[in-house]
Amino acid sequence: MNLERVPNEEKLNLCRKYYLGGFAFLPFLWLVNVVWFFREAFVKPPYTEQQHIKTYVKRSALGLLLWVAALTTWITIFQHFRAQWGEVADYLSFTIPLGIP
Amino acid sequence: MVVVVATIKSVSFYTQNDGQQLIYTPFREDTETVGQRALNSILNAAIMISVIVVMTLVLVLLYKYRCYKVIHGWLFISSLLLLFFFSFIYLGEVFKTYNVAMDYFTLAVIIWNFGVVGMICIHWKGPLRLQQAYLIMISALMALVFIKYLPEWTSWLILAVISVYDLLAVLCPKGPLRILVETAQERNEPIFPALIYSCKFLELSTASPGQQSEDDGGFTSAWVGQQQQQLGNLQSTEESRREVQQMPSARGVKLGLGDFIFYSMLVGKASATASGDWNTTLACFVAILIGLCLTLLLLAIFKKALPALPISITFGLVFYFATDNLVRPFMDQLALHQFYI
Repeated sequence: MNLERVPNEEKLNLCRKYYLGGFAFLPFLWLVNVVWFFREAFVKPPYTEQQHIKTYVKRSALGLLLWVAALTTWITIFQHFRAQWGEVADYLSFTIPLGIP
Repeated sequence: MVVVVATIKSVSFYTQNDGQQLIYTPFREDTETVGQRALNSILNAAIMISVIVVMTLVLVLLYKYRCYKVIHGWLFISSLLLLFFFSFIYLGEVFKTYNVAMDYFTLAVIIWNFGVVGMICIHWKGPLRLQQAYLIMISALMALVFIKYLPEWTSWLILAVISVYDLLAVLCPKGPLRILVETAQERNEPIFPALIYSCKFLELSTASPGQQSEDDGGFTSAWVGQQQQQLGNLQSTEESRREVQQMPSARGVKLGLGDFIFYSMLVGKASATASGDWNTTLACFVAILIGLCLTLLLLAIFKKALPALPISITFGLVFYFATDNLVRPFMDQLALHQFYI
């Protein structure tokens, strides 16, 4: 859909829904929220709902950063220690690389 | 199409013939005589096509009698299946190919995100680019599934027959797709989300509210009617494809998702099985694009819904067989004799 033709209240609504939805383990939704509403929040000339949209975008960005940090940490730990953890790691693994590291 | 080719090349899973076939194609192709094989593939193709026709008719009837709930539910479930299940399998195979370890937790997060955002973008509201991207991705997934699970001759036959059917279904006055499109136009409603891909040119101001902007893909809606274990239900493909071949709205052209799937399937098959490798693939690619341009041209001239498949698929098939059988040996001979043109 094209944001140009959507009235402001609807934009706010959409932004809010995307923000709330992101709490269901959906950092991707937050990313979409940030990218999509970035221009609306920061580049466009101010209008009434813009303040709220800005808060939502900022919070989504914050949540996104937290998730990215957490995931990166977990992935690094996993990849590094996978071989050493033995059975537990195998249980956690979806695919196990073949061959000798 | 690029995605499909890339995947076929790198992930051998999709080209292995592990003997499993869709339940819609019960006849095997690894039989002994050529005649037997031909017969089997014709039967397979016939079954597939009839399934598709039946599903199309069912969809049109549902639409005519305003059973919108049923249709929406159907579309919803199929896109759900596609987004989650198939991408799960796809990711698994990609990781195996690159020999990368992946744990369940990260995988769950990835698939959950991908799936849910996909459902939101396609069936509800989302940025246009993202919606288009999702539609393309699921079309590519479907095409991959087809390539893997349909035996060779059957696929080529199906492609050919589908183009003919497409032509008939859209242009004949009694064709189901035509009825669908006209009914939608009469009622001034958008055709279902999840069946169409729209390339919209951003327009200014006055857009009528009834405009079909929210076309989405969910192609497989028709696809998965009843969930079967196997990747059955091609119907959806047809359905989606059927939905709207092309309909020029005020701006922007809409292309049925099934068209994407079959184009990708053609190119994917070409890259998987051609002896000429890149030459053939490229030739098919170009052929399809040319066909598409021609179809768009015709669309501009006639200004009504047109079937998108026939021209492109015909070109594609012709180029494929021609290149495979004629150009390849020619090039080989040239290289052999070190003779450069």
